[in-house]
Amino acid sequence: MAEYTVVGKGLPRIDGPEKATGRAVFTVDLKLPGMLHGKILRSPHPHARIISIDSSAAEKLPGVKAVITGKDISAVRYAFVDTPRYPADERPLAVDKVRYIGDEVAAVAAVSEAVAEEALALIKVQYEVLPAAFTPEEAVMPGAPVIHENTLEGTSAWEDWGAAGRAGDYRDEVDINNASARSAISFGDIGEGFRQADHIREDRFETAATAHCALEPHAAVASYDPVNGKLDLWLSTMGIFLKRFVLSKALKLPISKVRVRHSYVGGAFGGKIDVFPYEFCAAYLSMKLGRPVKFELDREEVFTTTRQRHPITVNIKTGVKKDGTIVAQDIKVYADNGGYRGSGAIVVFLCHGFSFPIYKVPNYRYEGIAVYTNNPIRGPQRGHGAPQIRFAIDSQLDLLARDIGLDPVEMMLKNVRHKGDILPNGDRLTRCGLTEAIKGASEGVNWAAGRRQFVSGAGTGIKVATAAKGSGKDGTRFRRGVGISVCSMFSGAMYYPFASAAMVKLHDDGSATLFTGSQELGQGCYTTLAQVAAEELGIGLEDIRLVAGDTELTPIDLGSFLSGGALVTGNAVKLAAADARRQLLEVAAEILEVRVEELGYKDKQIYVRENPAKSIPYGRAIQASIFRKNGNPIIGSGSYKGYPETDRYPSLAKGKGLFTSAYGFAAQAVEVEVDTLTGKVRVLRAATFHDCGFPLNKTIVEGQVQGCVSMGMGQALSEEIVLEKGQLFNASFLNYRLPIATDTPETLDDVVESLEPNGPFGAKEVGEGSVAGMLAAVANAVHDAVGVRIYSTPITPEKVLSALEG
Amino acid sequence: MKRLINLVVNGESHEVAVSPEQTLLEVLREELGLTGTKKGCNQGECGACTVLVDGKPVSSCLVLAVSVNGKSVSTIEGLSQDGRLHPLQEAFVKYGAIQCGFCTPGMLLAAKYLLENRPKPSEQEIKEAINGNICRCTGYVKIVEAISAVAQGAAL
Repeated sequence: MAEYTVVGKGLPRIDGPEKATGRAVFTVDLKLPGMLHGKILRSPHPHARIISIDSSAAEKLPGVKAVITGKDISAVRYAFVDTPRYPADERPLAVDKVRYIGDEVAAVAAVSEAVAEEALALIKVQYEVLPAAFTPEEAVMPGAPVIHENTLEGTSAWEDWGAAGRAGDYRDEVDINNASARSAISFGDIGEGFRQADHIREDRFETAATAHCALEPHAAVASYDPVNGKLDLWLSTMGIFLKRFVLSKALKLPISKVRVRHSYVGGAFGGKIDVFPYEFCAAYLSMKLGRPVKFELDREEVFTTTRQRHPITVNIKTGVKKDGTIVAQDIKVYADNGGYRGSGAIVVFLCHGFSFPIYKVPNYRYEGIAVYTNNPIRGPQRGHGAPQIRFAIDSQLDLLARDIGLDPVEMMLKNVRHKGDILPNGDRLTRCGLTEAIKGASEGVNWAAGRRQFVSGAGTGIKVATAAKGSGKDGTRFRRGVGISVCSMFSGAMYYPFASAAMVKLHDDGSATLFTGSQELGQGCYTTLAQVAAEELGIGLEDIRLVAGDTELTPIDLGSFLSGGALVTGNAVKLAAADARRQLLEVAAEILEVRVEELGYKDKQIYVRENPAKSIPYGRAIQASIFRKNGNPIIGSGSYKGYPETDRYPSLAKGKGLFTSAYGFAAQAVEVEVDTLTGKVRVLRAATFHDCGFPLNKTIVEGQVQGCVSMGMGQALSEEIVLEKGQLFNASFLNYRLPIATDTPETLDDVVESLEPNGPFGAKEVGEGSVAGMLAAVANAVHDAVGVRIYSTPITPEKVLSALEG
Repeated sequence: MKRLINLVVNGESHEVAVSPEQTLLEVLREELGLTGTKKGCNQGECGACTVLVDGKPVSSCLVLAVSVNGKSVSTIEGLSQDGRLHPLQEAFVKYGAIQCGFCTPGMLLAAKYLLENRPKPSEQEIKEAINGNICRCTGYVKIVEAISAVAQGAAL
């Protein structure tokens, strides 16, 4: 293996000291001269028609500068997905109807938050309350209230970028009431597959809506310069170029007149990639008033009106041979995307995208349907579909293994894909560390010794087969068990802006500045990308400075979603640094009067390999370049596409096209302890083996995995958005139970270094996948411990206890 | 009616005119420009706004500014001295205990209080001391490691 000096090390983050001292500036920290504060009036009804809005009293309140409603901006429409098949269905402020509790109705800009809030109370809205639907089951019923009755016309934002496929009315394809999207994919012969099976089972699994819980609330600051017609934005976001694209269209500004500027992002986890009404309103009001405007959502608004993970129902039927080989799998997914489509069309595609890269299933049928309801809007959340689909598939795999008397680890190993496999859509697994990951994770929880080996008996109850080895004094109250699950994630994909580019500028002291449009939101991209540049240039991490997260100063970037940061942006940075190094070596070759091929470089010195004494420091070569090459100070550039081998994004509806050039994989095993008296489950140990190709920064990779494990454990055991007729009941950290420090299990995390040939230094995805395996791992471990199966997340004490008593 | 209060923040005395409903968090961030103290929930549930008042950790979003008149407040801006990081800050950087950084200031002050009052805490005691500080990024593993390293006097 290659010897590296900068990448692969657990170097401290370059943004660490700034964040440790409180100097790091987040969007919520910004205060501009003359800045106004915005607030949003929201719907109290899950579904209602707006009859009238009277904002005259609010406008007269001293300190109020403007009040806007849907009427002012009725032509504006945008969404995370905007294609001819799935035209954008969101508006910054409701025009005709409100579709969930929290839907935006009016916005106020005032001299202070308090005045803005007071103004909201003075806006009179007359509603006609409409019947509502709160579950996909209700919503798809004939005669259910129609949540979006209008036919949306017009070009979609994505058409500029080749989204317009064939002409035609796509809506006919989904002839289901309130369906917002459908993905249908199959291969092999499903009927024949089930005929070959020795054993078939059919199960239904449900996952809860969950919250991202990024600590920094969503916020936006907009500052419009009316003289130059230029808009500056500071957004707590994961993708500055995607936001610029959508907002410039919505605001009808030339894209180059919209600048998203840098501020740190206090966590995102998928919840800050959609364009939100408060962002549009901040920009619109700043343009209207010629003053900076800031919106900062409160915690209840963040929980309710930004995005949540899709609650999903999975019906899954799988046929296996006696030896555990999967021969057929039929999956049907229903996702509740809430009042607007959000990422509904994507999540039902991704439930397939994160299902099929794992097990070889020769005969497969998948149908995913996203449905409008009058619940809050759902969007991407870490893993986006993976936790839901992996919970279903691997919970059922565990059940199948029990049915036929196999060890689930053995059954997984029998069915998983391997390096060299070509997926049905054409994606190639150039590397695949699933087998090593499964072995590592299962050994990490002492699988053979830890497993209690329950065998389900012909549909009857489960018998506790062996004496409990729990730690309770009575020996039986606390029971332990182990479980395992596997997961996968893309490493970037073809999604706007489809590529990342980077620049590297060398300085005459031999150091460099890296320009990248990626955005630091905690994942450590500034550090890992600087490491990539430093390694490629042959300089130290301390020799790199970074200009990032600014659409004016940096070239385009895919953004920090779809887990493309390491592979796509990493490659762009590596190419930019290599380009700069090439130019540097050319100058050195000229000075040293040798051919470039004869040169080596180390410690900021370029030397002749045959005669190392003949050398020149980087700084001098750069100076010489300025003298000799018409002042060229050496600027390297590089770019890399989301998927180099295609120029189209995949069809969400048909699952055709190439998805990603490298899949990240992980296996996760846990040991749990179940209190049979209370039903409470505790994760004692969690072992994750993540095939991230190559860890560009070991400490950061471990941190990503540990964060995923914690979030996955929370979603397995306690996290749940509680809704009653569309009203959110637990919109606070106290009532939304995310893990706190004392919940932390003993964690073992390791990487499988599969060295992805498409990735920079072999790196691929690490930041998302490892949420997904935790759900089924915990459910399977609970089954192992106490012999009951919980089919829905979160696995609460109530559910465990009622299953134990049932 | 605004009231004039005196706050000693990180050793510096400030005369501030505050409204009765203004919280300590608002005064620190908006009147004194000390934005290192973060507002995560404004409900006393996340710990991001933790500061020390007379040496004890409080959620500054739940403390009315008038009630700390004359008291001494320590914020994250006062943790490093003369440009040198506090050992806890150094450990947080070195051990990867910081990701997005939004919980970090509050977390550091909670940790400082712990080590000042219990210099050799057990792992469980460290976890309990930061139980009021939510971190969504790290899963707490590296935060506990960093605090533990400082307690054990590890060379940083």
